[in-house]
Amino acid sequence: MSRLHDMGGRFGDGSIPVPRNDENEVINFEPTFKYEWHAKAWAITLASGALGEWNLDISRHYRECLPPKDYINFSYYEKWLAALVNLLIDKELISLNELKEYVSAAKNGTLTKFSDKDVKLDHRTWLAKDVQKTLGWGGPSVRDTNLKPVFDIGDKVITQNYSPNKDVSGGHTRLPKYAMGRVGVIHSYNNNHVFPDKNAHGFGENPLPLYTVEFKSSELWGELAESQNDSIFLDLWEPYLKLSPN
Amino acid sequence: MMSDKKNIAEGDNHSHDHAHSHLPSDPELRVKAVETLLLNKGLIDSKTLDELIDTYENRIGPKNGAKVVAKAWVDLEYKKRLLNDATSAIRELSYQGRQGENMVVVENTPETHNVIVCTLCSCYPWPVLGIPPTWYKSDEYRSRTVREPRKVLLEFGLSLDPKVKIKVWDSTAEIRYLVLPMRPKGTEHMGENELAELVTRNSMIGTGLPKEIK
Repeated sequence: MSRLHDMGGRFGDGSIPVPRNDENEVINFEPTFKYEWHAKAWAITLASGALGEWNLDISRHYRECLPPKDYINFSYYEKWLAALVNLLIDKELISLNELKEYVSAAKNGTLTKFSDKDVKLDHRTWLAKDVQKTLGWGGPSVRDTNLKPVFDIGDKVITQNYSPNKDVSGGHTRLPKYAMGRVGVIHSYNNNHVFPDKNAHGFGENPLPLYTVEFKSSELWGELAESQNDSIFLDLWEPYLKLSPN
Repeated sequence: MMSDKKNIAEGDNHSHDHAHSHLPSDPELRVKAVETLLLNKGLIDSKTLDELIDTYENRIGPKNGAKVVAKAWVDLEYKKRLLNDATSAIRELSYQGRQGENMVVVENTPETHNVIVCTLCSCYPWPVLGIPPTWYKSDEYRSRTVREPRKVLLEFGLSLDPKVKIKVWDSTAEIRYLVLPMRPKGTEHMGENELAELVTRNSMIGTGLPKEIK
């Protein structure tokens, strides 16, 4: 009832790849991008997103929908690139034939044959002069609506079990599996935010109350909990929650 | 945003063969092919790519967050504003925008230690910390931090007293978190700029502490 990206709490993962120097001290400042292609994969994803043909939730869902085998084997930016290509094709910004043509040229080392093409920028294309302005504004997900939150701070709530996305089987959701069917306490209400379960599927923004919910470590992990004292906080939309009967 | 081009209502939204399977196996070639195609179609501009990369390689990074933390250490009124409305308080230092539209700052105390994670993807407060490090995006960190934060922190060399309460913040929505670490002892004489030098990136994620003074 979940996808591979939803990995919170799972068993089997080894040590965290913490970078250390020769004196075995933890390194705090690595290069932003390890390889040039990481930087490029990241930048073309952002620049393509700026064309306005999809939203953040759609792009997340495309990464999550990579076949499990690929999701496991791909490195981080390989996932980004694969999801981007699928989006570009589905949104008809590029065609499969064009992709094949460029891929075969890349393999043959003849990509340069395209380079002196006379390029006319699309009217949607993100220009360098607008980069700082657009980054500074960002993409706020809070929406002004009259909607009042149903729950109060301190309310005991229980999260949905099984598939939280009511519209789409296997659809996008931001309620992780490890926190499904668990009892928590409303820690704060954070205004009304675009609802990813709808927005990722093109059903509109449907802004809804967003809460931060505190779960006791023991509620999530039972006897495996490292400490009865610890807590995990998640940001959850109202439809994920019901008042807990006990 | 709903498009007539392709129905994305299904969960598995690409009903045809996955287009990405046509990409070459060498990731460098893969990126080059897609980049060249998009450039030639005029859908992206190389100057924009350069500007983006330069911004996050040279201008936006953990030094921003360190300035926020140092200011909160020396200025109690600022700290209050930061804990009350982090987005506005951080904007006072001109840090704002993409992946930091809704900021929350959580404070470490002798009784409480905070740790930030994103189990579902790699959500991270870009305006104050930049692009996340590899370990933050790793399966190991994403899967284990919510279940065994104490073991995870030990791997970063951080051993917490069992009496200290750990709060793990899983960034499941568009709120982005920053940890306000405790000011190191013996730094009473230091000014904001000197203090900022002590603030490590990991101390603002909760997987480290600020540098001690020797």
